[in-house]
Amino acid sequence: MLASLTVREFRNLAALDLEVEAAGLAIVGDNGHGKTNLLEAIAYLRLLRSWRGARDVDVVRFGAAGFHVRATLHPPARAHSAAIGFERASRRKRALLDGVEQPRLSDALGALPSVCFSPADVALVADGPGERRRFLDVALALTSPSYLQALQTYRAALSRRNATLREVQRAGRAGADAAARVAVWEPALAEHGATIVGARRDWVAAHAEPFATLCAAIGESAPVSMRYVGPAEDSDASALADALRAQLEAQRAQELRRGITLVGPHRDDLQLLLGGRELRTFGSAGQQRSAAIALRMRESATVREQLGAAPLLLLDDPFAELDVRRAQAILDLLAAEGVGQVMLAVPRAEDIPPAFTRLSRRTMREGRLS
Amino acid sequence: MSAIDDLTTELARLPGIGRKTAQRLTYHLLKQPADQSRRLAQALVTLVDTVRTCTRCFNLTEAPLCSICSDGRRDGTLVCVVEDAADIAAIERAGEFRGRYHVLGGRLSPLDGVGPDDLTIGALLARIPEDEVTEVILATNPSLEGEATALYIQRQLAPLGVRVTRIARGLPVGGDLEYADGVTIAQALQARRDM
Ligand SMILES: [Zn+2]
Repeated sequence: MLASLTVREFRNLAALDLEVEAAGLAIVGDNGHGKTNLLEAIAYLRLLRSWRGARDVDVVRFGAAGFHVRATLHPPARAHSAAIGFERASRRKRALLDGVEQPRLSDALGALPSVCFSPADVALVADGPGERRRFLDVALALTSPSYLQALQTYRAALSRRNATLREVQRAGRAGADAAARVAVWEPALAEHGATIVGARRDWVAAHAEPFATLCAAIGESAPVSMRYVGPAEDSDASALADALRAQLEAQRAQELRRGITLVGPHRDDLQLLLGGRELRTFGSAGQQRSAAIALRMRESATVREQLGAAPLLLLDDPFAELDVRRAQAILDLLAAEGVGQVMLAVPRAEDIPPAFTRLSRRTMREGRLS
Repeated sequence: MSAIDDLTTELARLPGIGRKTAQRLTYHLLKQPADQSRRLAQALVTLVDTVRTCTRCFNLTEAPLCSICSDGRRDGTLVCVVEDAADIAAIERAGEFRGRYHVLGGRLSPLDGVGPDDLTIGALLARIPEDEVTEVILATNPSLEGEATALYIQRQLAPLGVRVTRIARGLPVGGDLEYADGVTIAQALQARRDM
């Protein structure tokens, strides 16, 4: 659990030092004063990047040389302390566990396990497949080292195959020569792509039913479901790899014309359905928000399974755009799961739900806590 | 003081040397006896003026043919393909291999603009009939790019009817051959498999 936090030059937070109780903390403050920035800083110690998709340079406080976030954990997770720093001039990002710089940044992924709920999560449901792929990749890469390794190698092979496709196009190569240059990246794409697709399918198989149950409990009367849309229905690794290899080969001619790789897990989707139709297109704003929260709750369950304890919940005014009925249902569901430590950010004290009124309160104003 | 700046800039270009280290080295070279620094400068000039690549295998050499290519006791029908000349030194340390080498001069690295034509693959294909090569051992690094390079060469060699083998994955994945110990390299060579 998060015991203390030090934040330096992170967005509008110049210098912030904070002790956090076991139950957590409620941060009250008007929008634009730094509540979300504080939660974003904490989430950096899990993802090592911005959960809002911002570039590291844009997270550095205006005029500062870099930012720094450090947490002490008690009881410890993977370490007693975790820190991340970014230097603007060198564009270098460093992660430290127990004060020791990690040789690879990714060694520090998940150092402070947390799951963030925010109104912006509606993008998970309403936006394109990329958002949902990212969701699956974060949930799986941070709980499975073999998934992380497969994902990194897959991306490395994909960028090399795409670069080769562009080069072949530019140089006007054709026929067997062009195919031979492109094909050498395909065994790695098939092998690691199969690991990725298999793990995603397994996740969907395990979480589809609880997800549907959650959506119903939040109050959606039409049945909400999820399914993985990708190449081949297999989830056996070698059958999947064979299928991917065959599809890459079948698509190669078209890919040579288009200059980009068209098949593989980087094109798949985690489809969310409302009574058989895409929630993304046919769901109401309320239904989409419910499904987004249900997805985050399954992410939380995934982390909990791996950790054996509840992750830190970062609640960024999550009920702001929900009706009272749905908000209450979600609070009940969270309580039933067993809430661990919570960092709750709300604009006004009246916005703190009864379940969290026992949390200590601090006020955020112009990047300072009082 | 542009002489100081010039040397610092040149040193900082070297791999693994930052601006600060380059500066420290520059001041160290000024502080030590002038003769010692002159010997270093002379060694550098001699190096770049005399060392070239072997006309057959692209190993580093001061003669037209490298010491391995000109050694009649080495088995010319067995060729071990490596990424860089430094890999030869590593394999030679293992003392296991009695054939000859072929240095590619890198590996397929499309993000850096390195394609098959930038490597010495054409010269390797020409060597097969010329030197009556019967087996080619692909000893590129067990990395993503090393594997892709091995696969590309294997497919180019396939029509020539020569046996093509790949060193075993005894090496740590992503680990450089250059840094592997002799026993590991010897095992990886012994356990090579047909591609
Ligand atoms: Zn030679």
